[in-house]
Amino acid sequence: MSATRAAAGLVDTRHEYEHLFSIYVPIAIGVFAVIVLAIAYCLLRYRRRPPELAARWHENNRLEGSYALVLAGVVAFLLYLTFTAEHRVDTVSARERPSVTVDVIGSKWEWTFRYRDYMITERSGTVGRQPLVVPTGEAVRFNLSTVDVIHAFWVPEVRFKRDLIPGATQSVTLVFPAAGSFQGQCAEFCGLRHADMVFNVRAVSPAAFAAWGHSGGRAPIG
Amino acid sequence: MSATAPATAPRTHLRLSGWVGAATSTDHKRIGLNLGLCSLAFFLLGGVFALLMRSQIAQPNERFVSDNTYNQLFTMHGSTMIYLFVTPMAIALAIYLVPLQLGATGMAAPRLTLTGFWVWLSGGLIMECSWLTADGAGRAGWFSYTPLSNGTNTPGVGQDLWVMGVLLAAIGMWVMGACVVATIARRRAPGMSLLRMPVFTWTELASMLMVVGAFPALIVVMALLFIDRHGGHVFTGFNGTIDYQDLFWFFGHPVVYVMFFPYLGAAAETIAVCSHKRWFGYTAFVASIMLFAALSMSVWAHHMFVTGGVTNQYFAFTSTALIVPAGIEYFDAIATMVRGSLVLRASMLFAITFFIQFLIGGLTGVFVASPVLDYHVNNSYFVIAHFHYTLFAGSVFGFFAGVYHWFPKVTGALLRERLGKLQLAILIVGTNMTFFPMFFLGEDGMPRRISRYPTHPSWGTLNLVESVGAGIIALGVLTFLINVFVSLRRRVPGGPDPWLGHTLEWATPSPPPPLNFETPLPPIRSYAPLLDLRRREPEGSRS
Repeated sequence: MSATRAAAGLVDTRHEYEHLFSIYVPIAIGVFAVIVLAIAYCLLRYRRRPPELAARWHENNRLEGSYALVLAGVVAFLLYLTFTAEHRVDTVSARERPSVTVDVIGSKWEWTFRYRDYMITERSGTVGRQPLVVPTGEAVRFNLSTVDVIHAFWVPEVRFKRDLIPGATQSVTLVFPAAGSFQGQCAEFCGLRHADMVFNVRAVSPAAFAAWGHSGGRAPIG
Repeated sequence: MSATAPATAPRTHLRLSGWVGAATSTDHKRIGLNLGLCSLAFFLLGGVFALLMRSQIAQPNERFVSDNTYNQLFTMHGSTMIYLFVTPMAIALAIYLVPLQLGATGMAAPRLTLTGFWVWLSGGLIMECSWLTADGAGRAGWFSYTPLSNGTNTPGVGQDLWVMGVLLAAIGMWVMGACVVATIARRRAPGMSLLRMPVFTWTELASMLMVVGAFPALIVVMALLFIDRHGGHVFTGFNGTIDYQDLFWFFGHPVVYVMFFPYLGAAAETIAVCSHKRWFGYTAFVASIMLFAALSMSVWAHHMFVTGGVTNQYFAFTSTALIVPAGIEYFDAIATMVRGSLVLRASMLFAITFFIQFLIGGLTGVFVASPVLDYHVNNSYFVIAHFHYTLFAGSVFGFFAGVYHWFPKVTGALLRERLGKLQLAILIVGTNMTFFPMFFLGEDGMPRRISRYPTHPSWGTLNLVESVGAGIIALGVLTFLINVFVSLRRRVPGGPDPWLGHTLEWATPSPPPPLNFETPLPPIRSYAPLLDLRRREPEGSRS
C-alpha cells in the first residue's frame, strides 16, 4: 500500500541505487571475465614457445583509436544512467512537499531528532535507544546540522547518506517505502566513540506516526 | 672498473666507506636503494598496525585494544602506507632506475635528491615518534579532516607531530619528484628522445609530474592545519571545512595515481620482457598515460560526493572517463602477450596478477565514481575493499613484479623462483580473503573506522575471514623476506642481463658501477634498444 504511494511519484533512493547497481554489476563482471579469459588464453597458448616465434608487430593505432571510441561510448552510457538517477535523488526529491520535517543534529557522540511540528525532541543516546520515527510512503525532510565535527547521517536501508558539515544546515528528502526497524549510524569518523554513534530508525504507517506525534512522543510507536 | 669510465665524467661520487658513505652518497642508485629500504621498513611497520587492527575487529564487541588505540592504529596504518611506503617506493624506483633507463650517469641535482630523501625520512620518523607522546599518535585519520583534527577536538603533541611529519615527508617527496623530472628533461643519453623513453620511465614521468603539481597542495594544507591547531583558526565554518577537503584531495587523488603508474610501468616492462616482445601500442600507451595523469588531477572531489559542497556531476564525469585510458592500458598488456613467447617466471606471474587483481579495484572504482552509488558505499567497507584492491592487490603486486625483475640488476643475485611463486600463491589467497568480503560488509552497511561493531548476521564471520586473511598476507611477506635473505646469503649470480631485457639498464654490469655504464651505449633507435640490437633488423609496426 505504502510502497505503491512511493512508486507513484516520490523518489525512492533505495530503488534508484539498486536499479543502477543492477546494471553496473553485470557490466563489471562481464568486463572482468573477458579480460581474465583473454589473459588465461595468452598464458596457455603462448607459453614456452621458442623466442624466435614471438611476433614482431607492436603497434596498431587505428585499432586502439576505435577501441577508445568504444570505451568512450561505455562512459557515455554509464554517465547517462548515473546522471538520470542522480537528478532524481538530488533534484527531484528536493522539490517534493514533505509531510514531516525532522531536524537531525549530530554531536559527539549521539544524535538529536527534533520534530518541530510536534514539539518533540529525542536523543538517540550513545547506544541508539531512542529511535528516529518516520512515516512510511511519505516524503520526510531531514535538516542536517552538527554542533561540533563532521558527522554523516547514513541509513543503509534507504542506501543514502549525507555529511553533517559545521556551519551550515543541509536538507535531504527521503522516503521509507516499507515499515520496519533499521540501523542508522555515523559514517564519518568523528573521534573517540565514533563506533557508538548509532541510531535506530522506526518506519511506521502514517496513521501510527500521527498518533505517536500528537501524543508528543509519549505513545508507544506503531 | 672505474678506469674504463669516461675520463671527462664529473666526480659525483664521494668515496666514503661504511654507513657514513652509504648515508651521504649522491649516487642515484644508493639514494634510491636507501629510500626503497626505508620505505620497505615502514611497509612492515604499517603491516603490524594492520594486524593489530584486524585482531581488534576480528569478532563483534571485542576488547583487544581501546577505542583510542584503534583510532591511532588506523590513522597510522593509512599514513604510514601512503606517505611512507607506496608513494616513496614509487619515487625510489624512479631514482634508481630512471637514470639507468635513460643511459645517464646519474641524477640531475643529486645533492638536492639526497636532501629530499633526508627531509622525507625526518618526516617519517617524526610521524612515528608521535607514538611516544603521552596522548598517543596521530588519531584523526590519514586525511585528518578539520574540525576533527583541530586543536579543540584532537589536542596534543601526538597529532602535532603527525602534521609536521606529513609536512616534511611531503616536502621531501616533492623535492625528489622534481629531481626525477629534471633528470628526464636534462640527462637523456644522445638518441634518447622523449618518444624513445622506456614505458617504465614514461609512467614515472607522469607520476613525478603529478608529484610536482599536486604535492604543494598537501604542503600548504598541512602548514595551515598546524597554524589552525595553534589558534590561527584557518578552516572555519562550512566553507572552511570544504576548503580543507578540496585542498587535501587535490593532493589526495593524484597521489593515488602516483602510487599506481610506476607499478603499472614495472608490470609492463616485466610482461614485455617475459613475452619476448616489445610493449604493444607504445604511442597510444604514452598518450593514454598522460591523459590518465591529466584526468586524475581533476577528479579529486569524488571523495566529497556526500558533503553537498561540490558539483557532483562534473566529478562523476571526469572520474568515469578514466575508463578510457585504463582500458587502453589493459588492451596493450594483453596485446603484448598475444603471439609472444611467454616465460612464466615469478616476476611475470606477479605482473599478470597485478593486472587481474587491480581490475577488481578499477571496476569498483567505476561504481564509486557514480554519486548515487557512492551515497550508499562512501565511507563504508566497500570503499576500503575498493582501494585496497588498487593499492595492495594492485600496486604491491606490481611492486613485487618489479622486485623479481630488477633484483638481479640491483644486487647481482637472482631471487629464488620457487620461493617467489610460493609467495605469490600465499599473497593471492591472503589478499582475496582479506579484501573481498569487505565489499559485502560495506554494501550491508558496515562503516569504516569503527573500533567495534554489534553482533549482526554474518558480520562476525566475514570479519574473521578477513582477519585470518591478513595473517596469511603477513606469511606471504615473510616468505618474501626469507627469499631475499636466502638469495643474498647463497647467491646465484644473474649476470648483466638474465632475462634478455629490452632497456638500457640491462646493458651494464649488475650492480651497475658508480657512473652506470662502462662501455659505450648501444644505439638508441626505439624504446627497446637492446631488443633492436639482438634482432638487428627493422621491425614492422603494424600487425
